[in-house]
Amino acid sequence: MSLGTVAEAMPGGAPPKRPRRLTIVLAQWCPHCVPLSVTNGRRLAKRLRVPLRVLDIDRRSQVKEADRLVLRYGDAAPDYLIPQVFLEWSDGRVQHLLTGFSEQVPRTARAWRDLFASDWLKRVVAGAGN
Amino acid sequence: MARPLRERLAEARRRGGRKLTGRGSLPRLLRTALASPGGRCYRHCDQPIRSRAVPSALPGRWEVRSCPSGVVSVTSYAEWTRRDPTPAVRRTLERWTEPKSLVRAWDLRVATRRGPELGKNAERFLARNHPSRGVRVVYWRVYPFRARDGTERRLFVCFRRTHAAPVFFAASPTASEWGCPVCARRRRGRRRLRG
Repeated sequence: MSLGTVAEAMPGGAPPKRPRRLTIVLAQWCPHCVPLSVTNGRRLAKRLRVPLRVLDIDRRSQVKEADRLVLRYGDAAPDYLIPQVFLEWSDGRVQHLLTGFSEQVPRTARAWRDLFASDWLKRVVAGAGN
Repeated sequence: MARPLRERLAEARRRGGRKLTGRGSLPRLLRTALASPGGRCYRHCDQPIRSRAVPSALPGRWEVRSCPSGVVSVTSYAEWTRRDPTPAVRRTLERWTEPKSLVRAWDLRVATRRGPELGKNAERFLARNHPSRGVRVVYWRVYPFRARDGTERRLFVCFRRTHAAPVFFAASPTASEWGCPVCARRRRGRRRLRG
């Protein structure tokens, strides 16, 4: 058992890590994003019981935060891919979950389906962390 | 634009090729998980897209998605690694492209595939491996653009077996001649020899 797990298991120790917020970086004109990733993002947020935040790279008020997330935790490039999906955790960690598949929209749809069926999601929903 | 005859095209798959066991190479399971069959040529001919694997000195896997006329939809390079392969991808594409200025930084986009989005088999396979590393995929997509004379240009690829590697070039989709610059140089050379 790791020290972190011991601390969490002890009364008065650090609270267990929980998902806190799901964020999708997208653009309204992108067929991988709207409606595909918005719909699936809502579903995933519901499964995780967290709020969904949508950051539109074409909105001046949102692009700065979108760029920060992508540059720090995601797949950064001068003209980066969208959508990119991030899960924020209660301990402040940000986990990059998914980047759109540039090949074709049905491939991105398949990635969402696989994410919903993944062992990772089962573990997170069961509260076992990631 | 007319594409060269099918029989003149190089074989996409090298028969009896080397085993992919090197550092960064993609095991069959991951290749299957990343596969994206189907699709049609968008805003050009609506013909089915064909994926063609291309060998190179890099350890990962190249795939060129193009229509029967040779218009490139997207070129991708996938490597099982923690580092970003974009610089190496750019250098390789510059060698394969005429002119090499067609390869621009903002047309290269990296994506990391970590496992959960690749299906159960790939997820479990990647989870078993320590230290964990995802699959990095670099996409090269050149959107149609206008030349100085205002005509539309698209990215084409020529796979003729006389070429050592694929040749990427920009040409008008309505041109009557196959615009591969390497093929054109060879034609000129032959004419000079005959003359």
